[in-house]
Amino acid sequence: MLRLPRFALRQPTTVAEAVRALAEAGPAARVIAGGTDLLPNMKHELLSPPVLVSLARVAELRGIAMADDGALVIGAMTPLARVASSTLVAARAPALSQAAGLVAGPQLRERGTLGGNLLLDTRCQYYNQSHFWRSALGFCLKKDGSACHVVAGGSRCVAAASADTLPALMTLGAEAVVEGPAGGRRLLVEELLGNDGARPFRLGAGEILALVRVPVPPPGHRGAYGKLRERGAIDFPLLGVAARVDLGTEGTVLHADLVLTALAARPRRVTGLDGLLAGTRPGSPSFEAAVERAAGAAARQCRALPSIPGDHEWRNEMIPVYVRRTLRAAAEGAGPVHHV
Amino acid sequence: MLLRVNGDLQEVDAPDHWTLLEVLRYRLGLTGTKQGCDKGDCGACTVLLDGRPVLSCLTLAREAEGHEVLTIEGLAAAHVAAGGQGADALQAAFDRSGALQCGFCQSGMILSACVLLAHHPSPSEAEVRRALSGNLCRCTGYTQVLQAVALAVSEACGQPAPRRAWEPGPTAGEER
Amino acid sequence: MAARDRHGLEAPWGQFRHVGRPLRKIDGLAKATGAAVYADDLSLPGMLHAKTLRSPHPHARVLSVETAEARRLPGVLAVITGQDLPVRYGILPWTQDETALAVGKVRFVGDPVAAVAAVDEDTANAALKLLRAEYEPLHAYLDPFESLARHDPAIHEDRREGNVSKRVELAFGDVEGALAAAHAVVEDDYFFHGTTHAAIEPHCALARYGADGLLTLWSSTQITHYLHRALARVLGLPAHRIRVVQPCLGGAFGGKSDPFSLEFCVAKLAMLTGRPVKMLYTREEVFYAHRGRHPMHLRYRSGATRDGRLTGVDARILIDGGAYSSYGLVTTYYSGQLLTGPYDFPAYRFDSTRVFTNKPPCGPKRGHGSVQPRFAFEVQLDQLAEKLALDPIELRRRNLLPPGAQTVNGQRVTSNGFAECLARVEEASGWRERRGRLGFGRGLGVAGSMYISGTNYPIYPNKLPQSGIQLKLDRSGLVTVFSGGNDIGQGTNSIVQELVAEELGLQLDQVRVVAADTDLCPVDLGAYSSRGTFMIGNAVLDACRKLRGPLVQAVAEHWQVDPGRVRFVEGSVIDLADPARSLSSAEAFQLAEERFDTLGATGSYNTPALGGDYRGGTIGASPAYSFTAHVVEVSVDVETGRINCERAWIAHDCGRALNPLLVAGQMEGSAYMGLAEALLEEHDVNRFGLHRGPSLLDYRLPTSVDTPELLALIVESLDPEGPYGAKEAGEGPLHPSIPALSNAVFDAVGIRLRHLPFTPGKVLKALRARPALNEAGLAAGAGRG
Repeated sequence: MLRLPRFALRQPTTVAEAVRALAEAGPAARVIAGGTDLLPNMKHELLSPPVLVSLARVAELRGIAMADDGALVIGAMTPLARVASSTLVAARAPALSQAAGLVAGPQLRERGTLGGNLLLDTRCQYYNQSHFWRSALGFCLKKDGSACHVVAGGSRCVAAASADTLPALMTLGAEAVVEGPAGGRRLLVEELLGNDGARPFRLGAGEILALVRVPVPPPGHRGAYGKLRERGAIDFPLLGVAARVDLGTEGTVLHADLVLTALAARPRRVTGLDGLLAGTRPGSPSFEAAVERAAGAAARQCRALPSIPGDHEWRNEMIPVYVRRTLRAAAEGAGPVHHV
Repeated sequence: MLLRVNGDLQEVDAPDHWTLLEVLRYRLGLTGTKQGCDKGDCGACTVLLDGRPVLSCLTLAREAEGHEVLTIEGLAAAHVAAGGQGADALQAAFDRSGALQCGFCQSGMILSACVLLAHHPSPSEAEVRRALSGNLCRCTGYTQVLQAVALAVSEACGQPAPRRAWEPGPTAGEER
Repeated sequence: MAARDRHGLEAPWGQFRHVGRPLRKIDGLAKATGAAVYADDLSLPGMLHAKTLRSPHPHARVLSVETAEARRLPGVLAVITGQDLPVRYGILPWTQDETALAVGKVRFVGDPVAAVAAVDEDTANAALKLLRAEYEPLHAYLDPFESLARHDPAIHEDRREGNVSKRVELAFGDVEGALAAAHAVVEDDYFFHGTTHAAIEPHCALARYGADGLLTLWSSTQITHYLHRALARVLGLPAHRIRVVQPCLGGAFGGKSDPFSLEFCVAKLAMLTGRPVKMLYTREEVFYAHRGRHPMHLRYRSGATRDGRLTGVDARILIDGGAYSSYGLVTTYYSGQLLTGPYDFPAYRFDSTRVFTNKPPCGPKRGHGSVQPRFAFEVQLDQLAEKLALDPIELRRRNLLPPGAQTVNGQRVTSNGFAECLARVEEASGWRERRGRLGFGRGLGVAGSMYISGTNYPIYPNKLPQSGIQLKLDRSGLVTVFSGGNDIGQGTNSIVQELVAEELGLQLDQVRVVAADTDLCPVDLGAYSSRGTFMIGNAVLDACRKLRGPLVQAVAEHWQVDPGRVRFVEGSVIDLADPARSLSSAEAFQLAEERFDTLGATGSYNTPALGGDYRGGTIGASPAYSFTAHVVEVSVDVETGRINCERAWIAHDCGRALNPLLVAGQMEGSAYMGLAEALLEEHDVNRFGLHRGPSLLDYRLPTSVDTPELLALIVESLDPEGPYGAKEAGEGPLHPSIPALSNAVFDAVGIRLRHLPFTPGKVLKALRARPALNEAGLAAGAGRG
């Protein structure tokens, strides 16, 4: 059996204890949430932290609630299965609900958490391999080596952001609450993101992602998530599309947003969307024409790299298709867009 | 560490980096839980943690402390403890439906099905397929697995089991 | 062979009591409750764990392997390299080109180089990192066409034929004349990609070497007997001091039918350390062990008369064998020899060449060697039907092998239910009303096939029985059956139990089966070539019939009645003329033991002389052939290119269905596996020669939501030589699934998919390249059938 490297496990029961345990354990220590991403990566020797600080026993990090200001607050340790089955999440953040329900397979959604998915390591066919395999290749830019095998001569890692929930959270304007040795801070989830696949997150030393806050959506908020993958379960996205369409009282689009993932190191927001969709009425020819233009804009602005396995030309071809389908699904209050 | 497995509280000595799967198989001798892929891709190592299906190859044994672990061995034992005989109804349905070809994936499959039926006593076929979509089977093409779940459901409701394509019955034209 | 190998079709005691019923499997509940013991479930006191060092190069000379540092690591008990196991082996005696650990060269990334035994897995892994192997990299052949074109450096330097592993060229009849005279000829290229078995259980072996010099090996093998022979050869031990046991096996599909490096390594390490040694492959290592389906580049040319009668078929096939021979010689023959049914054609030629490449070695996967040609040919038949404006089922019907026919390459075909298979899928799918009429984007496709029920060609030349059975009768009424057969999940032991119970008039729980243990059981050649039910079943009947006479005689004498009045029925013995009189089978056994002494019997099976009178004519010659037809229904998303296979009707002629539950399971599992190969799975290396994704995440087995509805329709053309008329069901039903899918896509959207796998990207490209037909026009055009 593929074994985990040795480590010492700390199991604090409060956030404060966890922050302290992480600080005591030093910079090489890592936080383990559900472990569904971290442990396979450790088995592949992509990281070998001497200490793991488990958040599994920190009760305050679990659960879905409404804050005083009406925001939806989801503990980072809430299993994806709970996020997906929550009627509150489905009502307030449909794109997130759909995305959480399409992560991996049923067992991984029980163990995998929202926080863990948000901070999912970027993925690449030359990176997510065993130590033996990577050593045979001479390693790569992201880990233990200096060359990129995806982009010849590349000096910045293009391993792909692969979290389904992240683009959904970005369309929702979600914030992350981070706790660290210097206290807590609150920031937009996209402010956590870097541009380099080798260092995809800007979490400070000793910091722990504690909560995700989804602000109160406007009354006409609609959202959907589209996931392209080869199988109907288990697989990471080959392309993820989160769409937001807020309708006004007249039933026309007030605001729209579109974030795509599984392309490169960070999810990408399609710009200029409001200009295309605002004022159109879902189902009308003008809306359909706007959706076509949005699909064209996405295809121009986004490009799938062959970092993750599969036919990247096909992934590129699917960008406009999934943008169209996901925007329509969002506008109709439907979704997710998924082939099964 | 102290683990509660199939109702028994057991003291186990294992380093922190051992997974629940390794402890179950190689420390407690509960080898009914299988290992197929090393890293969370196949579902063969599925066990129930507080009634929820998780992959024991991606669960640290120490993190299971304080939780109820149920493995395939615990299912029939609980059935017998409750006054039953042999295997429980779901296990028997898998057997009677031919779902156990090589059998290697089926402890995980049965436990996934068990959770589904605990929450949805009469699921649609699509719901069954979704609930089992994290358990890879290489032998059956899932057909007899789905038939096993359908058999267990129909018997629990006192209904006749759905007819299989190869069984004598309505003429072939209606098989669609 | 002898008349003793034909046991008739009739029920032994008037009517069948078990045969034909959907019975539970002998080990079903053990598996359902987690009690069944697989190789990695075994552990022995003092057991060591072993790991393998593997080549990081696709092709290299091994200059040195420095082991001293690893040996010094506390907890490491032994390190071995190629020098410790230098004897070559290979499943076929003519192509022994493997060693357990590299000797001189490595030939693919993952080729085993050294092995370590240590007190636990972590220590063994740590020791691997202390081994220092030095290599001189050589040019790596990743493309079979390159292997064909050049061989400096050769992958196997001692081969006269360069990088060619095997070439077979056979011709039957005047192919050129037949094609010249044809009204319609279709000529096209096809490609079948590499796929692998991906049984969920990884390979595992455990060895114990006793102070008495006896070696016991428990291994997840499907060929106990051949493994036994290979161990004796490589370890230099007399075979009688080696015992090979196959525990419960977690799937194989051909992937556990070679002797593998780990089996020799644990044995050697156990001999060196005096302690039991286990090795369990990681999933990644299973992908390197491979022996999966050979990639094939196929060119077919087929001709037909105006009314759709095939005149001739010409095939040229390049087979990518990977690094070693494995079963490749047989693969190369099978790629041509198994195509000659279920259709009758008067002229046939094939020219198949297998070459070595620096990739994980290919071997036998379910439908060994014949799934790829079947795909190409059945698509080509559809192309012919299109050209001749014939319904594809009708074209196939016009070319059925006549009853009692011999195929063009000299194979004897006894029973043949193919016509009924076609009729069943035609009816069940609503073919006549629905094909070509489902609208653009949805379609139906058909394909057929024929497959062997074992062959008369044992892997090493010998005249010994292919299958042996031994029975022991106990005074309790229990019969213990010792069977050499390998139950790999397909249910061989269940069939043995059922047949013994049927023949001796017992209840199922009165029959216990001990199997696949070379110390305890007579030889059976193993689970390959779909030989189990046919050959082991016949051996069982042979053994049982030796006991029926004495049993009946003892009871008849006891009752002082004519033996014709004695009948054994489900655990009882009754007097047909006097219903009041009966005995239990235990009492009958005791009477017989008193009369004839301790009760037991052996039985065996061997094939009759079969095959054409030419070199290779016996390869693929089977005592009985199974037949299959599929209709597959698809819908195609023309925007994404994704093919949604919605359902498959599978009609399979398995002769008498001894246990329809098991037959249906094999049919459904086969169709699933074929469709998975067509749509999702791909086993290949990248430009560096590394496996693209040696995991069950990247090698994508369909999940329950990816698998279509599978409808198994059992057809029974009783075979005169099968046990009660039974034939194979485990491999045949895979074959038509892939071409039927391709043909269904043609019906749906008018594109011919000739290059596997049928990925959505390829479908989109083909749709764009399609002649500009509007959708209505295409639907009308597709309605020609």
